[in-house]
Amino acid sequence: MVVRKGLAAAAATALLLATAACGGSNSGDGDNASGTGSSASGTAAAESSSSKLDPVTLKIVMPGDRPADMDKIIAEAEKRMADTINVKLDLVFVPWSDLAQKTQVMLASGEDVDLIFDAPWLHMDQMISAGYYEPLEDLLDQYGQDAVKVRSQQMFDANKFQGHIYALPLGNTHLAGRTYLVRKDLREKYGVAPIQTYDDLISFAYKVKENEKDVVPLLAYGQSGQKDVTWGAFRAFMEYDPQLLRSDALGQSLVLYYKNNDGKVYNLFDEMEPRVWSWIEDARKLYTDGLIHPDVLAIKDVDSVINSGKVAVAVYNEFGVPSSISAALAQNAPGAELEAVTFIKNEKGQNITNFKQANFQAIPKVSKNKERAMMFLNWTADKDNYDLLAYGIEGTNYEKIGDDQYKQIGSGYSYFPYAWIWNPTTDRLNAGFDEESIKHYQFNKDASNLTASILTGFSFDPAPVINEISLYNATEDKYYNALFDGVTDPDETWAKFKKEAEGNAKKIQVELQKQIDAFLAQNQ
Amino acid sequence: MGIAREIIRNRYLYVLALPGLMFLIVFAYVPMAGHLIAFKQYRLADGIWGSKWIGFDNFKFFFMSSDWYKVTFNTILLNGLFIVCGLGIALLIAIFLSEIQNALYKKIAQSFIFMPYFISWLVVSMMVFAFLNTTDGILNRTLAANGLDTQNWYLMPRIWPAVLTIIYVWKFAGYYSIIFLAAIAGISGEYYESARIDGATRFQQIIHITLPLIRSVLIVLALLGVGRIFYGDFGMIYGIVGDTAPLYPTTDVIDTYSYRALRQLGDFGKSSAVIMYQSVMGLVTIVIFNAIAKRIDKDAGLF
Repeated sequence: MVVRKGLAAAAATALLLATAACGGSNSGDGDNASGTGSSASGTAAAESSSSKLDPVTLKIVMPGDRPADMDKIIAEAEKRMADTINVKLDLVFVPWSDLAQKTQVMLASGEDVDLIFDAPWLHMDQMISAGYYEPLEDLLDQYGQDAVKVRSQQMFDANKFQGHIYALPLGNTHLAGRTYLVRKDLREKYGVAPIQTYDDLISFAYKVKENEKDVVPLLAYGQSGQKDVTWGAFRAFMEYDPQLLRSDALGQSLVLYYKNNDGKVYNLFDEMEPRVWSWIEDARKLYTDGLIHPDVLAIKDVDSVINSGKVAVAVYNEFGVPSSISAALAQNAPGAELEAVTFIKNEKGQNITNFKQANFQAIPKVSKNKERAMMFLNWTADKDNYDLLAYGIEGTNYEKIGDDQYKQIGSGYSYFPYAWIWNPTTDRLNAGFDEESIKHYQFNKDASNLTASILTGFSFDPAPVINEISLYNATEDKYYNALFDGVTDPDETWAKFKKEAEGNAKKIQVELQKQIDAFLAQNQ
Repeated sequence: MGIAREIIRNRYLYVLALPGLMFLIVFAYVPMAGHLIAFKQYRLADGIWGSKWIGFDNFKFFFMSSDWYKVTFNTILLNGLFIVCGLGIALLIAIFLSEIQNALYKKIAQSFIFMPYFISWLVVSMMVFAFLNTTDGILNRTLAANGLDTQNWYLMPRIWPAVLTIIYVWKFAGYYSIIFLAAIAGISGEYYESARIDGATRFQQIIHITLPLIRSVLIVLALLGVGRIFYGDFGMIYGIVGDTAPLYPTTDVIDTYSYRALRQLGDFGKSSAVIMYQSVMGLVTIVIFNAIAKRIDKDAGLF
């Protein structure tokens, strides 16, 4: 009886909440419907007379949280646009945790959205093959010349899906940065010279191990969603002759890889790459010597461990020390300071890349304001407008430093240009970065400094081997990080891993090679 | 005719039941149609009916792996431990609480035992890590202070069923004990009175009066638990264990396994296939256990 009553009460409450929520969103939709109703006629009118455009409200969906000062920036932007493209902005922020589901439902239900954030790591391929996005070639030609100009040709060529540009690529560089964050204060304390090579880094780590009881010398990632940033695997980003590049089929894993830009898929199960094996053995030695954090596989929030000041060296996925981490560290461990060390080369042609970007803005098929949406994207390519949307109001939210750097003021306008306007030309760098990191960013802004992979523009269709991929992923998760973080014995773990995963890996390799061969044959 | 008259006669009671019924229809019965997706190559754009039928293809990925029986076993073992230890200790707590005479102390104790129920799994996970981590975990510090060897708990899968059970009991025992307490409060005081006149001790009263009279509540709660025995508590297990590979041998349950296998693909069909497997197995178990429960006590079954 008691249980039943409890259930009924819970049910009643849930129902109340549900209806309240529905009511809320319904009225919201109503507003939008009327807004877009008038705007539809607006576009029609705009086509006939180009002198003055009727106002149109664009609904733009983005990840993250709405910054406190967003309304002020929108007001300023709308004022600037009033005489030209006359666009009003309705920015919808979706929390990261709900992003995949919510945007998918928005598209599937045909909600009236004019611009939407998507990414290959989200569900871009599925949404494109489901036909939700408008191909952008014509719109870019007609209304998007500036948006094209601020991005490199490679960026567009490489980020086609099924042969079309389905979304505007967003990126401020052509090569993802990778860095070792090193505790500068500890390095200076022990009189170690600035770190130049991986061996320097390790000998510094041993110094820390000997002298600092409470500091763990090395930290990498270990949770199975983060295979590319384990201690051993991370070294692949920093070593050359030849570079080992992760495959299009398995994403973060090195088990299938490319080298020498020869269009071949290599498989570690067929033949172990001696260098990869040396990384694994090195990681094992560092782990058994007590240098790598003993809980490396269990730590979920790596940043917070770095912030606590109990780590001397950690791997990180950007160039430069992020300001959020250096601020938190300074607070938790007074006197502690981080510096960025990377062994990625800054020489023309040394780095091979496929120019794939990680973030995109797409125009859904259902949008009634496709032209205006493109005009807006084009408008954001202007330097002054970009500054406004990316960094906020000058003097209030940020301060310009030269032509290509900025300093953030306060926290009223958080950083999110990567979600809607990012491009390598008008983007400014955080002036808090060290000189070396800024050099890296500037160098990699120019596409011609990088060697194009012959697979530029290739994308893998997983459908024929989808069962193998899901099985392979489940197996790999059991062993990969333990291997590359040195937590378990290499020979034994590799043997088990190979036994369970070899068959599926082979099938994926064969399929990937087949698709690559077809791609290359077509391009010749 | 009979049904219509029944409804008209008790219309106000049925109106009271309406919100609950609606809830069940919307959230429990309508989604059942979604099981169809398990047999389809589901694409959002085509919708449920438009997608292609592919028979049992979606089930292949799960049953082709060498791990499916291991994760099924883990799921049953962990949930079995949760049901037995969770309800057992909740029952003890309820009996102890009901025997406390001082009303103020009783209320305070009850609140403290109930409190962990409100802590989210994410926070629990951080607490567990603070307790068990190798470098400065409370447990290892205590061991070291007493001159014992420290252990790397996150590399020892065999202790984790116990760890998870302790956490589960800590979090839910207070919640279930309230249900038991309510049942105990419903027992007429006359039973105890006459028992005392006959010279029964406190302990004898518990064994011969309290326990038999709340047995049906215990069985209902146990049956509800058994019905979900094939569902790993994803929020709990993924929250606490996360992607910590060395612990998979004992803590990987059906839900976490499929999550890992499918998270990059986002395939509705395959995930529905796994849910279908869990639902069907859950249905079979509950039918069996309900029959057993009815054998023991004719009124105790759920249906």
